[in-house]
This record gives sequence, C-alpha cells and structure tokens, in this order.
Amino acid sequence: MNVVVTPAMLGQVIISGILSGALYAMVALGLGLIFGVMRVINIAHGPLLMLGSYTTYFLYAHFGINPLLTVPIAMAVLFVVGVLLQRGLVFRVVDAPELSSLLLTFGISIMLVNLAQLAFTSDLRAVEYITGSWLVGGLAFSKPRMIAFVFAAAVTALSFLVLKFTRLGKAIRATSQSREVAMVCGVDVGRIHMLTFGFASALAAAGGALLAVIVAIQPEMGGVWTFKSFLVIVLGGAGNYPGALVGGLLLGLVEQVASLFLTTQLSEVVAYVLLVLVLLVRPSGLLGGRQT
Amino acid sequence: MAAAILSVLAALAAYPVVGTGYGVRSVQQIFMWIALAGSWNLISGLTGYVSFGHVAFFGAGAYAGAILVASAGWPWPLAALAGGAAAVVLAVVIGYPCLRLKGPYFAIAMLGLNEVLRALVSYFEGLTGGGNGLSLPTLDASVPIYYVMGVLAVVVTAMSWLIVTSRFGLRLMTIREDEVAAEAMGIDTFHHKLAALLLSAVGPGVAGALMARDQGYIEPISVFPLAITVTMIVMALFGGKGTVFGPVLGAAALFVAQEIVWARYPYVHPLLFGAIIVGVVLLMPRGVLGLLQQRYRLPRTI
Repeated sequence: MNVVVTPAMLGQVIISGILSGALYAMVALGLGLIFGVMRVINIAHGPLLMLGSYTTYFLYAHFGINPLLTVPIAMAVLFVVGVLLQRGLVFRVVDAPELSSLLLTFGISIMLVNLAQLAFTSDLRAVEYITGSWLVGGLAFSKPRMIAFVFAAAVTALSFLVLKFTRLGKAIRATSQSREVAMVCGVDVGRIHMLTFGFASALAAAGGALLAVIVAIQPEMGGVWTFKSFLVIVLGGAGNYPGALVGGLLLGLVEQVASLFLTTQLSEVVAYVLLVLVLLVRPSGLLGGRQT
Repeated sequence: MAAAILSVLAALAAYPVVGTGYGVRSVQQIFMWIALAGSWNLISGLTGYVSFGHVAFFGAGAYAGAILVASAGWPWPLAALAGGAAAVVLAVVIGYPCLRLKGPYFAIAMLGLNEVLRALVSYFEGLTGGGNGLSLPTLDASVPIYYVMGVLAVVVTAMSWLIVTSRFGLRLMTIREDEVAAEAMGIDTFHHKLAALLLSAVGPGVAGALMARDQGYIEPISVFPLAITVTMIVMALFGGKGTVFGPVLGAAALFVAQEIVWARYPYVHPLLFGAIIVGVVLLMPRGVLGLLQQRYRLPRTI
C-alpha cells in the first residue's frame, strides 16, 4: 500500500491522536492508581468503563438528560460500585499472590460483562448528541471528540490536583510509596484502598460516559480498555502518575499515525505490537522498576 | 489407584463401540477440555503466571491444522501435530518478551492475544479465508478423532504428573511461591517459565487442529472466543489448580453440568462461570481436589 502523507494529513492525525490520548490518559490513570496503591491489576477496569457508558445511555434515553451532564453522575455511580467491589471482594486479595488478584478481577470482569448482557442485551446502543466537526484552517476537529477531550483533560487535571494538594491525595501517594510507612504515619490504609478503588472506577466511568457519544455501546466494549490502559501505564514508565499522561498521548498518536498506513483490521494490532516492543526494548516501565 | 485409572481408560476405549454419535462426541469434548484445562494448569497452576489467552494457542493450532489439511492435503493426524507445533511457535513469540519480566505483563499480553490473532486471520484472507472461514474436505473421522483426543488428554495429564513429581516441577512451583527466592537459589526462572509455557501450548494446539478436522469448518469467531479461555480457567480452578487431576475432575464435572443443566440457560451460564472464578479464588483456592486432599489426607502429587 502506497500512501502519500501530506502535511495536512499529518496535522489531522496529530490532532486526532491528542484528542484520543487524553481519554487514554484519564482511564489509564485509574488503572495505575489501583496498581500503585494495592499492587492489583484490575482486569475489570474496562468493564467498569462499559458500565459508565451504559449509565450515560440510560440517563439519556430514559430521562433525556444531556449526555455531558451525565458524566459526573456516571462517575458518582461507579465510585459507589468501585467502593462496593473493593469492600466486598478485592480487599481479600490485596496481599495475596498476584495470581489471586488477577483471577479475581478477571472473574469480576466476566460477571460485569454478562450482567450487562442480561440487563441491556448485546444490541449496539448509541447516544446521538453532537455530531460533525469544526473546521479550522483545513483541519477537522470532530465535535464529540473535542468535547470528550476537554472533559477528559479537565478530569485528569483535577485528579492530579487532588493527588498533589489534598490530604487524601497525599495519603494515596504515601500508600503507594510504602504502605507500612503510611500506616505508621496514621494513614488508614484500608480506607485509602477503598477510596482509591472508587476513584479509579469513577475515572473509568468518566471515560465510558464520554465514549458513549463517540462510539457504539455494547457489553464487550470494555475489554480492550483494560489492555490499552495497561499499555499506557507501561509506556508512561518512570513510576509517577503523570506518566499516564505521556503514555496516553503516545498511544493516541501511534495509533493514529498507524491508521494512515494500515487497514482497519491491522490497526487493532498496533497497540499490541507496541506493548510487545516496549517489553522487549525497555521493560523497566512503571510496573517493573518503579520507585517513586 | 493405578487399577482404577486403567479400568476407566479401558471403559473409555470401548465406549465408541456401544455409544451413540452424540455420546461419542460428548466424551470427545470432555477429552478436549481435560487437555485444555490441564495445559492451562501447566503454566498458570504451576508457575502462577496467569494466561488469559490460552485460546490463542487453540486457535493457532486450529488454523495451522485446517490450512494444512485443506490446502496442502496433509492427513489430519499429521496436521494435528503441526497444529501443536504452530502453537509452540506462537508461545515462543509471545513468551520471549513477556516472561523475561516478573509481574503481570504476561497476563495482560495474553489478554489481548486472541484479538490480535483474530485480526491477523481476517487480514490474511488468501490463506485463511478471512471472515468467510475455512472449509475442510468432508470426512467422517469422529471415532478416530475420539481416540486421538483421548490420547491427548492422557498425554497432557501424564505430562502434568511427570512434571509435578520432577525437579523441574518443583522449580516451577518455587517460582510460583517466591520468584525472587527461586532466582536466589540459582533457578533460571526465565527459561523455566518459557519451558512451562511451551509445554502448555502443545495440548491446545493439537486440540484445536483436531477440533477443526472434526467440525470440518472454522472461522475466526469459532476458534478465538474468550469463552474457551474462560472455560478452561474455570475448569482448572474448580478442580484444583496446581494439581494433576484437578483439571481432569473440573473438566469432567463442569462439562457434564454444562450439558445437563446450564445448556437450558445459555445467558446465565457465562455469568455463573465468572461467579465460580470469584468464589473459588476467595473460598477454595486449591479447588475441589485441594479440599479432598485436606480432608482425606490424599497425596499432594495428584
């Protein structure tokens, strides 16, 4: 396939990459927080995002609520779901071998996907809200993606402010650096675990709510997000939470650039190849050599 | 013990003579699930490295076998072996980058693998038939396939037993319990994990190729579904991960339950599988066989 890449196309691709990168960063930050604080990779992160999408769809279709207003509602709902999951199930495997937490969250993710299938069927749902694009200087800015970008950037920025400046944020960061020392300093680690899980689920939900106006909603839409969020964390490397931002933008850009040259079937493979390459070349990302 | 096993095997060997077509197909399916759950157990149960994508090896074997039968005219038993070989090649490709590292990299990499293979199969249409699938020449070989699948189940189980009772198996379990300590003791953890993965890929590869021959038609959706991975994980966990006969027990029990009870509630069934995983991890991490071992003081190496 010979593709001639014009500067306009490249600009378009960079814009699209940045727009989707912000979503990746926000969702991945949730996965990274849970891993940082609890050493648990939450396989159910993507399915939680899917529940966020359905929350938006439900509120929009049945109560006619503006999809953008549903973002905070979906976040609140999934915060509660996350807290319940942590209190009910996940807290039991926090100190268990990795195998247990991986399998447990895998089981939870299967249950969430199939519950969604029972509740909402596998039919594709869509929230038709804003369509079309803004044209600026020959470049197209897709309206729903722009809006999602602005929201994602705002939520991510707010999350970093909370992590950086509030007592809760400091307690979360302290717990992820060393649970024992945090405990000694008077941090209620159990409570931090619970709140972090809720917070992370809310971030996934925000991603889901924003995606609801962009893509079709169906019960299995989340699976790929667990994978991509993980990739973003690995890409971000260095062990600090802002790494998710770098990783998210990087993944967004790589995917968009690849889409110039590859057919749609193969562009699904790009993220995977990227993960394998990173693991081969520079495996000491966030999860390997992290010491904040 | 040995006598019991031999009589069960003899009864199963005689079964196709008296059994109905449906019965033979069902027992053959049980053989397949024993091979799949037992293979998953080799990597995940013994080393603790969870594979969320073992169906990738099954599908790779299915496509390799089907292509060789349909395009190259290979006899199916040979194609089944080639299916196993294809799965091993795939295991090297994915195991090499991911198993050098400790931690969840392998699990997540396996999580996306079946999607990648599905995309590749759709892309290389000329070879694989893409989304239209691949038809094999008609051939009724359900009884020979019954026997070969049975041998596969026995081989995988015997291999598990040999590994569990060997120094190699001990080293794998040391990696599971504490990988850093294993390294400190001088175990080459990377090559041990990789070897376990390769051994655990053979069974699914052969099973996939046999399934392709038996069904006569494969398509990406039918050989790469997440549900196959989920089922083998559930079976191994339920029976008892890290044991030799746990996956056998889990495969037989859950397959029968699935056929008799859950087939009537197709939508609840996957939900139940998720619930079983959650329940087993929290309540009985060594599965049914683990409970039996505790209660009746059975040997640890079964």
